[in-house]
This record gives sequence, C-alpha cells and structure tokens, in this order.
Amino acid sequence: MYCAQTYRLNPNPITKFFVVGLLGFTVLHSLNNYLEWCIILIISIMYFINGFKKEGIMNTVVFGILFLIPNFKELANFPIIIKMIFSLLFVFRMFYIPYSAGKFLIVTSDVGSIVSSMDFLKIPNTISIPIAVMFRFFPSFMEERNNIRMAMKIRGIETKNPIKYLEYVAVPLLIISSNIADDISKAAETKCIANPIKKTRYITVGIHMIDFIYAISITIIVIGGWICLY
Amino acid sequence: MKENGLKIKDLVTIGVFEVIYFVVMFGVGMIGMVPILFLIYPTLLGVVSGTIVMLFMAKVQKPWGLFILGMLSPLLMFAMGHTYVLAVHAIVVMFIAEIIRKLGNYNSFKYNMIAFAIYNTWCCGSLMQMLWAKEKYIEISMMMGKEYVNALERLITYPHMALVYTGAIIGGFIGAYIGKMFLKKHFIKAGIV
Repeated sequence: MYCAQTYRLNPNPITKFFVVGLLGFTVLHSLNNYLEWCIILIISIMYFINGFKKEGIMNTVVFGILFLIPNFKELANFPIIIKMIFSLLFVFRMFYIPYSAGKFLIVTSDVGSIVSSMDFLKIPNTISIPIAVMFRFFPSFMEERNNIRMAMKIRGIETKNPIKYLEYVAVPLLIISSNIADDISKAAETKCIANPIKKTRYITVGIHMIDFIYAISITIIVIGGWICLY
Repeated sequence: MKENGLKIKDLVTIGVFEVIYFVVMFGVGMIGMVPILFLIYPTLLGVVSGTIVMLFMAKVQKPWGLFILGMLSPLLMFAMGHTYVLAVHAIVVMFIAEIIRKLGNYNSFKYNMIAFAIYNTWCCGSLMQMLWAKEKYIEISMMMGKEYVNALERLITYPHMALVYTGAIIGGFIGAYIGKMFLKKHFIKAGIV
C-alpha cells in the first residue's frame, strides 16, 4: 500500500468515508449528468494534488468511456448474448461514482491513519482490532497460498477436479491461518494491547482546510442536485 | 473483560478469517462476469465458504463473534462503493443469525448450521440494491432495444429475489455439511478445534 507524501493536502479517512457514503445515495436517487462530471473531476483533482497523476487521469478517462457507451446506437442491433455482456458495463457505470470515491479512500490512506481515525471516532476495540489485523494478515495470506501451490508442484500433485483442489488447498491454508492467528495474538499480548489506557499513535489525524473543501463541495453538489431535480 | 466476552485472541481470529472469506468471495465473484450466473452466486458462495465459517464458529464459541465477522465484509464493500442498502440489509441478517446461534448456546451443530444458512443470505443485499435502482438501470439500457428492456423487467422482480434467497439458504446448508465433514476429517485430527 502506498502512502501520500503530504498530509496537509490529504483529507483524513473519516472525511473520505463520509463522502463515499454520501455518494452511495446517488445510485438510488440519480443526479444530473453535468453534476456527475463535476464529482468525477473533483476526485481527479484530489488525486492530482496528492501526487497520484496516473490514477487521476485514469479516473476521468474510464468515466468518459463508460459515459459514452450507452450512446452507441449500433449496440441495439447486436445479438442478445453480446448485449448481456455489455449490460455488465452499464451496471458498472451506475456504481462508478461511489466506486471512484471508494478507490480514492483506499489508495490514498495508509493503515496507520485508518486505525488512528477509528480511535478518533471512539470505535470500540472489537471492530478496530479485526480491521487492523486484516491489513497485517493480507500479504502473508498471499505468501502462504503461493507456498502451498509450490509445495503441490514439487510433490507432483495435480488435479483438475475443483472439489479435490479445494480440499488440497483450503485445508492446509485454514490450518496455517489459524496458527498465524494464534501467533499474532501472542505478539499483540506481549505488546500490552489489552492495557486499557489511551494509546499513543505514530500517525495522528487532524482536521485541515482540505477536509472542509472536499466534504463541503461534494455535499453541495449532491444536495443541490437533488433540490434542482425535485 | 468479562469471562465469556471476546478476547484479543478471538478478535485476531475474526480478522484472519475475514481475509480468507473475502478472498474466497472475490474468487467466487468472478462468475458474476457471465450475466445470468450472478443469480446463483449466493448459492455457490455458501457451498464454498461453508468450511471457513463453520471452522470459525467451532473456534470462537462466544457471543457476537459471528456478528462482527459478518459485518466486516459489508463494511469493506461499502467503502468500495456499494450503497447503504447492503450495510443495512447485513445488520438485520447478522442479528438474526446471532440470535439463532445463541439459542443453540454457540456450540450445537444444528443451530450453527441454521445460523450459517441465514448468514449466507447477506450477499443477496447486493442484488437487492439492483432491484431498488431498477428505474435508473432501465433508463440507461433503453437504447438496447425494446425486447431487451422487457426481458430485464421480467427478470428483476421480487418473486425472483425470493428464489435467490432460497438458493442462498440451500447453499448454506450444503456448505455447512461440507464444513462438518472437513472438520471431522482434518481439523480435529490436526488439533485446531
């Protein structure tokens, strides 16, 4: 996972999460096309000022393509099977705006700031510990899976039967994972995770100007769009 | 913390199993690329993920464990751009599953099996949001031709959703049985449970 260079220009995860939730409503109550473009451009600009130039351009280009697809009149003459496949793109186009904000949330925030913003919101341990563990465990999960595949190759075990394959891969994977879970919890206990005092964090989240700009501009566009529509 | 509450060890276990569940979910989700097949997606997910969740329930026999495990995946999907419908739907489903598990005192196989079958219906929420956003979808696909829109309108209806839910529950039962078989065959022997 990458990490943005300047925190001053990067909104904190709480603001980004709020924006994703707000944009989720636009799937059910649709906005005007121009306003949709405004939102996409704002997200692209946010990518740019945080130094993710490639993601920013991709965001606009992908939405542009998805926006144009329903305008091709030739599509109506295609056989029903091809229409079915194209309809998947339509589904994606409907969900693209919240998806784009969600991608922004995931790409530009690191684990430390997510955990410390959960502290800031006073989210109980029962939620924040599993989420932190997920980020820690994901890379080692991939590593273990590759190890199992390699071990199977070395011993010459090959099966095309999906049920057999599932058994051969899933069972060792689950056993290893549950051992890793025990190890992680021992490591956490020795670092005094159960200590009920307030913890100091390496990265602290604060509210900057950019949080207000990002949240308020999106809120105005969405609410304004609904008011104009009805 | 209380004697029967969730300890750090259980919370870490939740996190680890959530990763496995999420990876499996995405793997199975690939069949959604073929448009009609996403209707049987909940069934298939139940069959495949049964082992994972049953092993989890055997390991963590405490209140609210299943609820937290179940709430994390909708939350992640919400952060990736799904609507609030999915999250609200999941809270209701997980609450029912948790109550059923409590009836069986967290260690009876029969109640755990029913709880998993209910748990498995959470991913129908993503199809439910399609149902609620139907008007916008049809508006976009208008130019695909009249017959296509008609076919679509016949496909996305409440009775069909009921079939998807039934499929999810049946898939859950099959998955739970496979899970029980695996538990007996491998995990008890390896000393995991």
